[in-house]
Amino acid sequence: MRRKLGFFLLVFPLSFMAFGCAAPKMYYWGEYSNSLYSCRKQATEANLIKHKQILENIIEESNKRDLRVPPGVYAELGYIYFRQNKNDEALKYFQLEERTYPESKVFIQRLSQAAKAKGDIPKSDEKLPQKE
Amino acid sequence: MSKRPFLIRITFLIVLILFITGCGPRMITKSEKFPLMYEETPASILILPPMNESTAADAKDYYATTIQEPLSFRGYYVFPYEVTTEILKMEGLYDAELLKDVPLTKFREFFGAEAVLFSTIKKWNLSYVILASTLTVSIDCELKSTKSDQILWRYNGTVVVDLSGGSSGGGIAGLIVKAIATAVASAMADYVPHARVANYRALSSMPYGKYHGEYMKDRELKIIDQGATTSAK
Repeated sequence: MRRKLGFFLLVFPLSFMAFGCAAPKMYYWGEYSNSLYSCRKQATEANLIKHKQILENIIEESNKRDLRVPPGVYAELGYIYFRQNKNDEALKYFQLEERTYPESKVFIQRLSQAAKAKGDIPKSDEKLPQKE
Repeated sequence: MSKRPFLIRITFLIVLILFITGCGPRMITKSEKFPLMYEETPASILILPPMNESTAADAKDYYATTIQEPLSFRGYYVFPYEVTTEILKMEGLYDAELLKDVPLTKFREFFGAEAVLFSTIKKWNLSYVILASTLTVSIDCELKSTKSDQILWRYNGTVVVDLSGGSSGGGIAGLIVKAIATAVASAMADYVPHARVANYRALSSMPYGKYHGEYMKDRELKIIDQGATTSAK
């Protein structure tokens, strides 16, 4: 009898830990981290194309699951378009990032400005100073 | 008959005392350890390229791919590392050693970041002891405010993995098999999954940010007090 009680005392908190904490997942990141790692190991065209697809997949899946798209994903995808000179697409994703995360405003404005100017990222007024 | 409950009680008491006086690690609440996190409540974090103090030259690039995702789960807006490092590179700032001397307010002006994450790879190596080998990944993380320049949070995550594989029976034959298994395991040793675990260990002590359901509700949550961990600088 004692043993049984002890067993239950052990199992109950354990089961709470196992099930109780299973809050709904915040974000869907899919294969992001693995894909990035592959790009680092071999920066081949194929790996880079795959990474873009991974980003698109994250957005699609997040919408399907009614989750917020993880921070930075819209911006990273936008930046890929920006580098391909597809500036309208780039701007679209930059705006999505800012709408989802207002904290990105300063950063996004800098990127958007560059996309609108179709040039390089504008440098800060002064160079980031470096101590000697 | 009456002696037994007494014995049980004594044992129980001893165990309890040991438990309380703490033979284990010292515990501390998050708000005691990182009060500034709750005062400043930074909403956005810029990840800077890691500093590498390990002997592995490629550790830096690989480690950098593992941090953005777990950090986002702490509830912060995390700037896309792939994009921000490229921009920093254009500014001539890729070396973490240069970055640490940039006034932090600059990251606020340039990206709008309220905090920056410095990380230092302390260990990223295999070590061999006779017929066994262990893999170690150790990361120091430090979050600094771009408002006050203060250290908001600092923690270390370390993972040590025994790569020797399970015991494979006794005798010389068993040892040889084990040695081969170790050699194979070491050749294929992949640090990145272990680096991810190290990150989760370090980040688990970080108070939650505004996008997490437990934001501001984790003050009393206990974490292991690592004391004054070595600075990431």
